[in-house]
Amino acid sequence: MVAQLLPHAVLIAFSAAILLPLLWLLRVALTDKTTAYKIPPEWGQASIGNFVEIFTGYPFFNYFINSVTVAIGATVIALPLAAAIAYAFARYNTGGMSLRLVVLSSQMLPPVILVLPLFTLFLKAQLLNSLVGLIAAHLTISLPFLAWLLVAFFDRNIALVEEAARVDGATRLQTFLRITLPVAAPGILAAGLLSFILSWNEFLFALILSGPQTNTLPVGLSSFQTHRGVDISLLSAATICAILPVFVLLPFMRRYLIKGLSLGALK
Amino acid sequence: MAEIGLRNLTKVYGQDVTAVDSIDLDVRDGEFMVLLGPSGCGKSTTLRMIAGLEAVTSGEIMIDGDVVNDVDPAERDLAVVFQNYALYPHMSVAGNLSFGLKLRKLPRDEIDRRIAATADMLGIGDLLKRRPRQLSGGQQQRVALGRALVRDPAAFLFDEPLSNLDAKLRAAMRTELIKLHRMLGKTIVHVTHDQVEAMTMGERICIMRDGRIVQVGPPLEVYRNPADTFVAGFLASPPMNLLDARLGGETGLDEVELPPVGLPLLARHKEALQGRAGGAITLGIRPEDLDVEPSAAQHAAMTVTVVAVEALGPEVILVGALPGGQEVSARLESDFAAPAGSEVQLHVDLERLHFFDTDTGRAVTAS
Ligand SMILES: Nc1ncnc2c1ncn2[C@@H]1O[C@H](COP(=O)(O)OP(=O)(O)OP(=O)(O)O)[C@@H](O)[C@H]1O
Ligand SMILES: [Mg+2]
Repeated sequence: MVAQLLPHAVLIAFSAAILLPLLWLLRVALTDKTTAYKIPPEWGQASIGNFVEIFTGYPFFNYFINSVTVAIGATVIALPLAAAIAYAFARYNTGGMSLRLVVLSSQMLPPVILVLPLFTLFLKAQLLNSLVGLIAAHLTISLPFLAWLLVAFFDRNIALVEEAARVDGATRLQTFLRITLPVAAPGILAAGLLSFILSWNEFLFALILSGPQTNTLPVGLSSFQTHRGVDISLLSAATICAILPVFVLLPFMRRYLIKGLSLGALK
Repeated sequence: MAEIGLRNLTKVYGQDVTAVDSIDLDVRDGEFMVLLGPSGCGKSTTLRMIAGLEAVTSGEIMIDGDVVNDVDPAERDLAVVFQNYALYPHMSVAGNLSFGLKLRKLPRDEIDRRIAATADMLGIGDLLKRRPRQLSGGQQQRVALGRALVRDPAAFLFDEPLSNLDAKLRAAMRTELIKLHRMLGKTIVHVTHDQVEAMTMGERICIMRDGRIVQVGPPLEVYRNPADTFVAGFLASPPMNLLDARLGGETGLDEVELPPVGLPLLARHKEALQGRAGGAITLGIRPEDLDVEPSAAQHAAMTVTVVAVEALGPEVILVGALPGGQEVSARLESDFAAPAGSEVQLHVDLERLHFFDTDTGRAVTAS
């Protein structure tokens, strides 16, 4: 009896610890400004007034569009480039281990080190306060990360299938396009989703390199903290809208990542 | 149709791993050539160089007289069946078969016709819509073979395609490959480390060891006249008995001494052993050339102590110890029985004795 209940009790406790902040967020988002701060908490009347207000009273929709544009833009550019880099690493050992480490080491720098040089560069190139600039900035994060991640997907198993295609009469390019990419597709898709989420959540570059018209969601969210204090119920509503797309994408990512890593190609 | 020639072919991996060491080989047009050797001897590497999947370190590969070292694998018009099949996992069986044909821009109806014919020949007609992972190992093997056949290439390269199959299926596929070869008449280079496969399938076998070719020839010839102790020990199961012996007798060349017995030498052997009187020699006796009854025309007897008797069904393998302690295996009729520790007389067919230089291991033959 105890042996059965105990694991459940532990799991419930952990789940609650993980989910409670999110549920709390949802509750706050659905209450009005005054009840939100009451201690002990009151439940009040649930309403979607906060959600309406962030879209009508604030440029929240604009933030949303900016975030979508930047995240999709960065992913669409990073993915094929990263796939090509990873393929060169995996098949031709381009640059040897040292080049791989250089690529990886760019990931070890705290982003704040990159942001100042980028600011100066963008100032000269007049890319500040533009979505194009922000996409470029996000590529400095996602490109090396994805390249590193994708190397693992172009593994020995796919290499064997590629060899079969080569003797079957395919050129290197045909092999890459018609064998490697489709076979590695689950992994590449997972990497794409990861890149999207990375971009979507990125705050520092967006804060420093974007302007009022090009603010993304994370920067927009921070603007709910004003000098008059934090409008917690509006902020909660906005946060919920901001994490919603990630929530929708997560199950897919999990599926593709697992599929990508196990591949089942030759088993 | 293709002849494949290897000239001084060498492959060095990295700085110092010499996988293939300056080999020469000519595979005739339409020949079934088997590359046989223990694991790691360079068979796959040789095959992959022929296919163009591995860069050649030095030497030449010729197909129909043309050096193809720098020809792209796609242009060599060879088909490979890999040990793990390497089917395209994202395509149906039909897609796997048609991939190479589509790349060659064959007309649709020709592709369909060829797929149907190949599927029919291999009995995979019902599987055409399935994905590779929905197939059993044996079915995958057939599809991999089909993918090679459907292209009608100049030659086939097989890298242990039967090694992942169970014993029964392997035997069936062996027969089928032999039939296929007879029907198509195409050049085949077949890699294996299974000596039964080599003996039954090859028109000629090429035995490799440590990246070098030890012996090339028709299976029976190699079996009867192994070039050295390695081939003698490798080619059959149980392998040839290799015994440390000494030449002796009055002239030092009358008999081969395996104390306490001395087996008389035939004139033919004396000629071959000229100049080795009284010296050490490695004596080779095939297990089937030993018998409990004096069946051969010229024979001699020796006594062994029974160590073990392994009943294989149609025959029995007797493992016995000579008085000197060396062990010999004999292949006997299935009705043979003897308790361990008992003494048995074995008769040696003197015609079938083999002699090898004890130091080099090379066969001693009259030149
Ligand atoms: N890519 C490689 N890099 C370094 N060494 C290699 C590589 N491929 C093979 N070798 C080495 O070359 C030698 C020959 O390998 P090869 O695969 O040709 O052997 P094989 O005869 O096919 O053996 P098996 O019967 O086990 O398949 C081995 O010593 C192996 O370790
Ligand atoms: Mg091999």
